[in-house]
Amino acid sequence: MKTLKAGTRLKSAACDTEVMVIRTRPEPVLLCCGGMEMIAMDGQKAAAEPDAAFAQGALVGKRYVDEQDTTELLCTKGGKGSLSLDGALLVVKQAKALPSSD
Amino acid sequence: MAPVRPLAGLRVASGGRGHASDYARSLLASLGAESDSPCDDEADEHPALAWRRSGLMALTGRAGGAARMCPVPLTSCADGALAALAALGDGLRAAPGSGATLMGVRARFAGLARQGATSPGGTCRLLACGDGHIAINLARPDDWTMVPAWLEYDGDADWAARVAELPAALLLERARLLGLAAAVSAAPTPRSWLELKLHGTPKAPRPRCANAERPLVVDLSSLWAGPLCGQLLRELGAHVVKVESSARPDGARRGPAAFFDLLNAGKASVQLDLASPAGRDQLRQLLDRADIVIEASRPRALRQMGIDAEIWLSGRRGRSWLSITGHGRQGDAAEWVAFGDDAGVGAGLSELMHRATGERLICGDAIGDPLTGLHAALAAWASWRAGGGHLLALSLDAVLRHCVSFGAPRSDDALHDRHARWTRVAKSRRNIAPAPLCFAPQSRARPLGADTAAVLSDLGLRAA
Repeated sequence: MKTLKAGTRLKSAACDTEVMVIRTRPEPVLLCCGGMEMIAMDGQKAAAEPDAAFAQGALVGKRYVDEQDTTELLCTKGGKGSLSLDGALLVVKQAKALPSSD
Repeated sequence: MAPVRPLAGLRVASGGRGHASDYARSLLASLGAESDSPCDDEADEHPALAWRRSGLMALTGRAGGAARMCPVPLTSCADGALAALAALGDGLRAAPGSGATLMGVRARFAGLARQGATSPGGTCRLLACGDGHIAINLARPDDWTMVPAWLEYDGDADWAARVAELPAALLLERARLLGLAAAVSAAPTPRSWLELKLHGTPKAPRPRCANAERPLVVDLSSLWAGPLCGQLLRELGAHVVKVESSARPDGARRGPAAFFDLLNAGKASVQLDLASPAGRDQLRQLLDRADIVIEASRPRALRQMGIDAEIWLSGRRGRSWLSITGHGRQGDAAEWVAFGDDAGVGAGLSELMHRATGERLICGDAIGDPLTGLHAALAAWASWRAGGGHLLALSLDAVLRHCVSFGAPRSDDALHDRHARWTRVAKSRRNIAPAPLCFAPQSRARPLGADTAAVLSDLGLRAA
């Protein structure tokens, strides 16, 4: 379990996936990729493959949210593992609406 | 590798004396065409008057302060790009100043005004950071939700104060990771406006008049640059189908109607559900019929839908694929988002304005958009005339850097001298009205999806 903060970058222990936290709740959460808890960017990866139940993959550029919409992550590098929060898979959020002008 | 010159051997009439005419000829030369100058060469309008006439002078400067002169002839570049396009095709009323008028038209329709270091549209801010100045353009409503993550702070504090503490390189890197449009203000460096690659064999060159063979343009772009390009091609005789995703229609539909009409009236409107396999299949079939594709997305976005520019080009001879990006299609830069105002800062305009005036300013209104749209139309029509087969890659960054480096003063002294002289020239006239547009909408733009069934059935495709 870790307490996350907006802007925190994490990587998967089991695949190439990297994320940035966009927003989250103040309590500690268990954020996993491929079924293993995500680690700091300078952390040591495990020599394991993603758990088959968490291996649908994470797509670069997509934003992922939990069902209660408390936490949102941006996938900054894609990988084989799926993202999950406290055991539940995160889902892809709809792409940003275009601006009316720029 | 030698650069591809699609118009090699073509002689076109391109006269005139001055910055705009010189710029037109330099663009035509970069495409391989030779310019024949008629003997009755007329002088172009002075770049300072052109800047003021376009409306951009009134849009540059502090609110309540003086309207500011741009010390590089950007509006002349717009006129030159339009003149070069008119030299290759029929149907545009390219009067002197018509290209420049396009640069100020959005602000005129929307009633925008200058706001100093904030863009006239209000979404782009030029902010002081730890070691310089950075532009951040929070144009999409959702972009604001990314700011706490961008700055690693709790979201309640003054975000500009947080920006002031952090170094530019870190802010830029994190903005790019988050898909936010950002640019560091720096001195301008030149870039080539167009990357052009030949894929397969072109068809025979085509005549300037498109009556015999009207290209089918599928326009997947939104906002300003891409739609302007499509509209210019339509004026030159193309049949243009504007394709929008049901989930993410063109955001400009929510802006001033007159502006949306200007860029999109006369195009057929097709709406597809690109989230569904059936919708993506319809898009692929529609693209299969197209002669020219205009898209302004990151290459990754179309690839994720199974659409690949190079494969499409090799599917049939004579096609042209026009890609408009923020920073190009290659490497990491392919992922970087840019909009018109931040791209102007990244290309060095705010640095030039600061050296000339001492003020930190956004220059013009979404300045990368109309310039890129004009250059994109030139590239697309040149490729069509040359028989196609080209992947044409333009970026807001490259087009702006190319324009900024055209006729830029070589020293700070020359910059100050020119700024002072051009400011006097601009103020020497009392009233100065914009030049007429090179096209005017005859009608309203089609409602979203109004032509979906008709277009699909015309092309023998199944409606959903």
